[in-house]
Formats: sequence, structure tokens, C-alpha cells
Amino acid sequence: MLRALLAKDLRRARRNPIPWLLNLALPMMITAVIGLVFGSGSGNDNSLGRIKFAVVDEDKSPLADFLRGAANQGKAAQYLEPVFLERDEAERQLKDDKLSAMLVIPPRFTSNYLTGQKVQLELIKNPAEQIHPAVLEELLGVVVTGLNAISRNFNAEFPAWRKALEDQSDYHEIARLIDQTGDKLHAARKYLFPPLVTYTNSVEDAKPVATASPTSPSSTPVAESNPAPKFNLFAFLLVGMAGMFLLLLANQGMTDLHREVWKRTFERYHTMHDSLLPFVMGKALFTAVIVSIGAAIILVGGQWIFHFRWPRPLELGVLTLGYVCFATGLMAVTVAIMPDERRANALNNILSMILSMAGGCMFPPDELPAAMREHLSPLLPTYWFATAARNLWWSESGWIVPAAKLTALGALCLALAAFLFKRRFEKGAR
Amino acid sequence: MLKVSALSKAFGATRAVDGVSFHVSEGEIYGLLGPNGAGKTTTISMVCGLLRPDAGEILVQGKSFSANPAEAKRLMGVTPQDLALYEELTGRENLEFWGRIAGLKTGEARQRASELLEALSLTDRADEAVKNYSGGMKRRINLGCALLHRPKLLLLDEPTVGIDPQARAKILEFITGLRATGTAILYTTHYLEEAETLCQRIGIIDHGKVLAEGTLSQLQERLGEGLVFTVDADFAGSSPAQWDGFAARFRVLQQSENQLVVAAVGQPDPADCLKTLLALPIRLQNVSLKRPSLNDVFLQLTGRHLRE
Repeated sequence: MLRALLAKDLRRARRNPIPWLLNLALPMMITAVIGLVFGSGSGNDNSLGRIKFAVVDEDKSPLADFLRGAANQGKAAQYLEPVFLERDEAERQLKDDKLSAMLVIPPRFTSNYLTGQKVQLELIKNPAEQIHPAVLEELLGVVVTGLNAISRNFNAEFPAWRKALEDQSDYHEIARLIDQTGDKLHAARKYLFPPLVTYTNSVEDAKPVATASPTSPSSTPVAESNPAPKFNLFAFLLVGMAGMFLLLLANQGMTDLHREVWKRTFERYHTMHDSLLPFVMGKALFTAVIVSIGAAIILVGGQWIFHFRWPRPLELGVLTLGYVCFATGLMAVTVAIMPDERRANALNNILSMILSMAGGCMFPPDELPAAMREHLSPLLPTYWFATAARNLWWSESGWIVPAAKLTALGALCLALAAFLFKRRFEKGAR
Repeated sequence: MLKVSALSKAFGATRAVDGVSFHVSEGEIYGLLGPNGAGKTTTISMVCGLLRPDAGEILVQGKSFSANPAEAKRLMGVTPQDLALYEELTGRENLEFWGRIAGLKTGEARQRASELLEALSLTDRADEAVKNYSGGMKRRINLGCALLHRPKLLLLDEPTVGIDPQARAKILEFITGLRATGTAILYTTHYLEEAETLCQRIGIIDHGKVLAEGTLSQLQERLGEGLVFTVDADFAGSSPAQWDGFAARFRVLQQSENQLVVAAVGQPDPADCLKTLLALPIRLQNVSLKRPSLNDVFLQLTGRHLRE
């Protein structure tokens, strides 16, 4: 009978696909819009792209020239695109959304720095953008930390440097200063290299080496030789959008039960069978199938549309199935509680939005308020899914527990829904 | 096939069904006739298990419905008053689906659906979505969905409501054919003509109570020897019961300011009755004689017309 119920519902969905397609198209569209806005300069790799910002050099000193040169070389040139402008022009371009931010080096910056006075760098961010200005702010923080460290360690050399820069000393004098500073750096080398605290980004292979011999004492993890994939904004967004829209899709599937009630088909079924649970379970099965299809379309289709590849598709698939189970169970419970489609839809939409927002599907979890991020979000199934799915981009581990938790919670919700429906039917509710 | 005894159901303070009893035999169409809100649908809902009765008993093939509802439901087919169809699916798909739900295997359901489409004259439109059907066609598919598993007891709740006379005639013809196969049919309607032409026995129901029951002729006999007179005149302020000898010869079925409907008592000569009526102490406008209809019976029982 479940097969007949499922076939009927799938056929109905195929004949009237627009409501379903809307819930599938929206996450793609939102991902595309956000991704293109924040990552349009990324080229084919769809990474963050080069960050275009203005440097307003009001100091006109050799140190500013040094910063200009540094930003145009090596790795920095790959990610940063500084343009050197006057303040008015920089402000105009910032207003026209042509820049992510402008960095102002104030007059007498070098001189004040070298005399140990307090100096300030000014970063004006483009309020229309979020990620690029934030990255620049972080980078500037690193630069400031570096300048502070230099100031504390080379304070004795600063007067000579200041004199050389201000008096336009000859190259012999500058060479002597470089040589002198180099000696000091050489002396400090053993304290700096290797550093006391290091950070290494490595990918471990979760699979142990196969041990055919029983005498083998232990298995040894094999280091992954492939480098970790680059961050992909579209993949990051798509996971969140999937988290939200799969809930809405599940709502649409389960509230079809209410439509069956007012269309009297549920009643006709009741005239043929005493137990109504098979009908309800058939609807839950249909919902699970349609949400799984939706997940496949969003996640696999997203791969093709946005030109990236999920690094661990199998793990992502299993995790998503766990989430499908949860979404179906949750919506079954709300449909069992709510007496009609209108109220069930209202509740489910609000619930989906709250879960998605607090679970980090709509915004990156780091952007959420601290109290929510630390105390509420980790308790939410949407957070389990979104975080584990995003982590799968970098690491193979950390998805099994969330997948198991989502599946268990989904099963629990379905059992609760079955109980609630049974109680309603026993009371004679139609 | 179906025996209902003292069935009652209340919704709050409203007694929707109040001690209803009747039975339906194999090969019989039993009509439950009454106006909207009389308790017909509530009665059918209890008989098919959609509602739990507050009191009373339902026996299907001699066995209590409440003792084994699943078995009783297997013997029944129910056509609800509202169209219980999937509009996105075709007529054939609807029939096949409900056949599968009724317990038929896929092949059986397919074959039975084809038979019913043929019998309901819908073969040529069978593969069109139901949403494109006319009202009459939808009604026929709605009826067909209850017949896939060849039920021995068919409950039809106003199956012809809201359709044109031609479509109604087709459905009534089909139902008459079902009766010939031995199916017991409980048929609710508020159309007098349907009850008169289709049903072997009729129960008149109003305010949740069966007021009278029997064949058409038995019900007509309740009005005497079949003489009903309609008298048009100004009856404002008049009291026919006080007219000399009137109460002994006529029973008042209905009285309004402009009209009096009466049934003759005993076996009088129609001409004598006319003479008596023409001699009434009132200025008459018109007097007409007719055979009593179910509406007159209803009028006698309730004091109002069936369609009021």
C-alpha cells in the first residue's frame, strides 16, 4: 500500500511541479546572487576573488612606497588589488561600489612612527560589502601587529632610520643601516626560528593502513598528500540554503496531508481502512523522497551550475539523508499538532526561518550574536547539518556524529508524530 | 445486509441524529430522504465508521460494525457527497489508485478500472486529468471509486447533487444496474423525484429523526386515499378547524395566508369533497386536486416543504 500511496503522491507532484520547483530554484538563485556579489572577481576558481581597495598616501614617504610595492608582489598580488588614489577620488569610487575599502596613511605617519609617537591608520569600509572589507580589516590588524613588534624591537635604530629617510641620505648610509639591522635580526634569529608556537593546516586520512599481518602492532595514519581544497563561497552558501529550503520542502510535503483532508481523499481512505497511520506514514515517506530529490538537485545541481566539486560526496550524501530524516520528522510533528494547512504553514515557515537563522544557514555562524553562537546554535539540528557539511569541505572527520544525531532525532520526531496522529484519530478528529 | 438500530449522535447541544433505525436488504435501494441538515450525512458517516455514534448499533451482514470495523469496511463502498478525487490525476489513475487502496493487486485494479470506465461511459476521457472533467463526469468517477472492490453494501451520500439532469439520469441508471447485481444500497438525497423513482423503500428524516418509513405507496397512504386538495383563498384570521364538519372530512397539511393544503379523510368521492370545499365560508380563488407526493407526506409530517 505504501508503494501505491508514494506513486500517487509523486505523480501528483509531477503534474503540479511549480510549488516544488520554487523551493528548489530559490536556493540556487539566492546562492548565485550572493555568490556573484561577493565573489564575482574570483575567476574560474570561484574563491573570494581579488580584493580591490584604495591606498590614500597622505604621508608620501618611502615607507608608504614600501607598502605599495609589497601589496603588488607575490601572494599579496594574487589576492589584493590596491589602487593608489587621492582621498576624493577614493571616496568617490567607494561610494560607487568600485572599491571594498580605502586605507588612509595619514600625513607624518612614518616620521611619527619612527619617533615612537602614537600613529593611526584609517580604514574606511564599503558598507555595501561584508566579506572583502572584513578580510582587509583582519589583514590590517596583522600589519599593525607587525609594526608594533618592529617598533618595540628596533627602537634603538629608529632615529638613524628617520634621519636617513628624512634627509634623503645616500645609498651608502641606507646600506649601512640595513646591514646593522640585519645583524640584529641575525642575532634574534634563534629566538624567532623556529617560532615557539606554530600553526599547521594538515589533512589527515581517517582510514588506517590495512594490516594483513596479525603481528602488526598498530596502524599508522597516512598523511594526505593532496592539498586542502580552496574555500568556495558558492559551496559555503549552498549548504546553508539547502539547510533552509529542505525544511520548507518538507513542510510542503507534509502539509499535503491537510490538503488531503479538505479534499476529502483522506476521508475516503478512512472509509476503506480503520487504521489511518499507513496513510500518514505514506505521506512521510513521500516527503522524505521528495526532500531527498530536492537535496540532490540543490547540492548536485549546484555543483554543475557553480563549477565546483564536493570533495567528499558520499559523506555529504549520508549527512544529508540524516537531515532529510530530521526535516520530515519535524514537519510531521507540526502537522500533527496544527489542525489545518494555513496554521501549519505559518508555524512551519516561522520555525524553518528561526532554525535556519540561528543554525547558521542564512548567515555564517561566526556572524551570529555571541550568546546565540555559543549557547543556542550548537543545540540546533540545522547547525549540526550546516557546520558538518561545511567542515566536510576541509576535513573527512566530524560528520558521523551529526548524521547519527539528525537521523535519531528524525526517527524520534516521526514516532512522536505517529503518537499524536493516533491520539487525534482516536478522538475522532478528521 | 445493513441494520441500524437507535443510532444517535450529538455535536454539543445539537442532536444531529436521534434514535435512527432502518435496515437495507440485498438488492434493495433504501432512500434516506430529508432536507439539508436533517442528519443524512451524519448517519452515513456513522455507518461507514467516519464518526463514532453516541448510542445505537450498526450490523453489517449480521455482525456488529464496532466489533470488527476493518471487516465491515471491506464489504462497503462509500461515495461521499463531496468529490473525493485527485484532480491532478486522470480518471483512470484515480480509479486504479483507489482500487489498490481497496486491496486489489495492480493488474486487478487496472482491469477493474477499465470495466468501470466503460460502464460509466468515460472510456474516451479516461486519460485526461480529472480537473478538466465536467461536474457530471467528476460525479461518475467519484461513484466509480467506491466500486472497485465490488462492495456488497454501497453507501451513496447525495451522489447527484449539483449536476445537470442528463448527467443525473446516467448516474441513476447506473445505480439501478448495481441493484440488479444484488448490491444493497443506502441512498441519501433531498431530491423527491430520485427517491420516488429509484428507491424501493424510503425513510423520511428531519431534525435527526426518521419520521416515517416504507414504500412510496405506503407513505402516500398516510395521507388517506390519495386525495390532496390545494385551496387558494384569503385565509388571514381564519381557523379551518372551527368550520362546521371540516375537521371530520379533511386533515390540514399546511396553511398559509393565501393557501390551504388538505388531505381527504376516509374514502370520499372527489366530487363530494369539492362540493364541501366550495361551500366553505370563505371567498375562494382556486381549488385543485392531485395525487399526493412525497413532498405532501413530508409536509404532513413536518408542516413544511422539503425544499424549504
